[in-house]
Amino acid sequence: MSLRRLLSLYGLLFLAFVYAPILLVVIYSFNANTLNMMIWDGFTLDWYRQIFGMKTDLADNATYVDSTRQLYGAVRTSLIVALSTSVLSTVFGTALALAVARYRFRLAPMYRALMMLPMIMPDIVLGIALLIFFITIGMNLSMLTIIIGQSTFLVSYVFVTVSARLAQSDPGLEEASADLGASPAQTFRKITLPTIAPGILCGWLLAFIISMDDLVITYFIAGTGNTTLPIHIWGMLRRGIKPEINAIATLMLLFTLLIAAIGLYLRSRRQT
Amino acid sequence: MPSPLEIVGARKVFATPEGGSMTALDGVSLKLASAEFVTLLGPSGCGKTTLLRTISGFETLDDGDVLIDGTAVTQMPAHRRPVNTVFQRYALFGHMSVGRNVGYALEIAGRDKREIDTRVGEMLDLVGMSGMQQRSIAQLSGGQQQRVALARALAGKPRLLLLDEPLSALDKNLRQKMQQELKALQRELGIGFIFVTHDQEEALTMSDRIAVLAHGRIQQIGTPGALYRTPANLFTADFLGESNLLPAEVSGTAARLRDGQGFAAARRGGPATLLLRPEALCLRAPNGPALRFDGTLRETFYTGTDHQVVLDTAGHGTLRALLRADGALPDIGAAMTLYADAQGLHLIDEVLP
Repeated sequence: MSLRRLLSLYGLLFLAFVYAPILLVVIYSFNANTLNMMIWDGFTLDWYRQIFGMKTDLADNATYVDSTRQLYGAVRTSLIVALSTSVLSTVFGTALALAVARYRFRLAPMYRALMMLPMIMPDIVLGIALLIFFITIGMNLSMLTIIIGQSTFLVSYVFVTVSARLAQSDPGLEEASADLGASPAQTFRKITLPTIAPGILCGWLLAFIISMDDLVITYFIAGTGNTTLPIHIWGMLRRGIKPEINAIATLMLLFTLLIAAIGLYLRSRRQT
Repeated sequence: MPSPLEIVGARKVFATPEGGSMTALDGVSLKLASAEFVTLLGPSGCGKTTLLRTISGFETLDDGDVLIDGTAVTQMPAHRRPVNTVFQRYALFGHMSVGRNVGYALEIAGRDKREIDTRVGEMLDLVGMSGMQQRSIAQLSGGQQQRVALARALAGKPRLLLLDEPLSALDKNLRQKMQQELKALQRELGIGFIFVTHDQEEALTMSDRIAVLAHGRIQQIGTPGALYRTPANLFTADFLGESNLLPAEVSGTAARLRDGQGFAAARRGGPATLLLRPEALCLRAPNGPALRFDGTLRETFYTGTDHQVVLDTAGHGTLRALLRADGALPDIGAAMTLYADAQGLHLIDEVLP
């Protein structure tokens, strides 16, 4: 076999390795078999009906006993957290990226490196550190601590995407704007912001998706009564893997893809 | 009427990344007599761009003053100064249409939409891009982008237009066309143009006056003709046009070349340098006193109207001459004699290194 064919086979195998499990989750979320998840037993929408609280013929022992209300509560908490966190980290991350890119000051490369650090920091370390911090300053664990905690590392993601955009943009444009009489505030509004908008949007969506998805750090700082969707699912799994989980996973996947698609669409519209 | 632009004793020192310092402007003074076309000419790193940026307000001076229409603007931020710039790489706003780019200064000034539209139309007419308001910047050719940058800088009716090597990205034909258009435009608008370039031909073609810069100082300022015929120092002589520079010794009103040939000089005495432009050399001896150079013909280049000739001489090194193409030239390698009129020659008060 030629090297070329070997490489393409490798590529196919790699794609299969990555996507096959995800594809299986989606397929089995329509599986009617209530006992063995991995054996196909006909098509059903019951698992989705169950999630949305509709009447099904499923026996109680085939599903998680949680009420739909609890699941919805977790989704709601996750959405509130993700929305607040992503907005917060987008504002701060963008401001930081602008400061590091536009102003020359001592130790600028060090600040840049420090901004990247939370991305490679082990989640558990960050989680423990945040927990200890909140306890030390006497802050009760709540939705607010989740939002603050997640923002600390999501700022990095926004910083990186906006910085990349800034590195491509021509600082000469801002000079040209000032030359034509625009004050620094006008220049920011009319030139800088539209130029880096795709980077900001990209960072915001990334922060939103990662926040929706974060389990480890959130688990440390959530406290009781603030269950996000990943924590809720984790709790469900501890009571055995039941087909319902496939449907939830499929819906989450769909939601994430939708957000990514919106991002791509908005980006392509900006560029034309 | 106050001068459109006056620069007094401008000094600017930059810190280099190595921890040293670089003097970009070393006491530069410049005054526009009226709405002139003044070119700042010099090699890269001579301080010409720094000087332009201190006028537009993007660099602050360490010492000295900038006055526009008699008002000191030294401490004024760039966006308040009544000057606009055509940037080297145009710096057009890619997320805006051609029309919005051109109308940007008026939009910022809060003018109403009708007035902006009218002015944008006028400006696009002026630069030969009528009706292209809706185009996007990405759709434009290099020459068109150049014109939009020009229209944008002029739309706000600046007191002074600054041009930072705006033609360097254009091909030769387009550049020559734009040179003529810019000159005509400056005359039509009646405002001062400060044009930065390192291209001496461009400077000679367009300028009312040229300021030659090197090492952060103005070496000489004057009309293109004066700078070409009577450069004040070796740098100007060498940078502007082609030149043959010969060491000379002056005593009283007589000067001598190294080989003893004499010519009249209006100078006191001591060593100096004789400037002979290539077109001052000719094949036939002129009537009256002349300098004579014997040598062998090394190379000739035919340019259509002239022959460029390189002559190796025994006592004066290599001479370059520009001869009318009507005369017959000897073969390459053959002996050849060139003459120069010994009257009205220009001496430079510097000794060749």
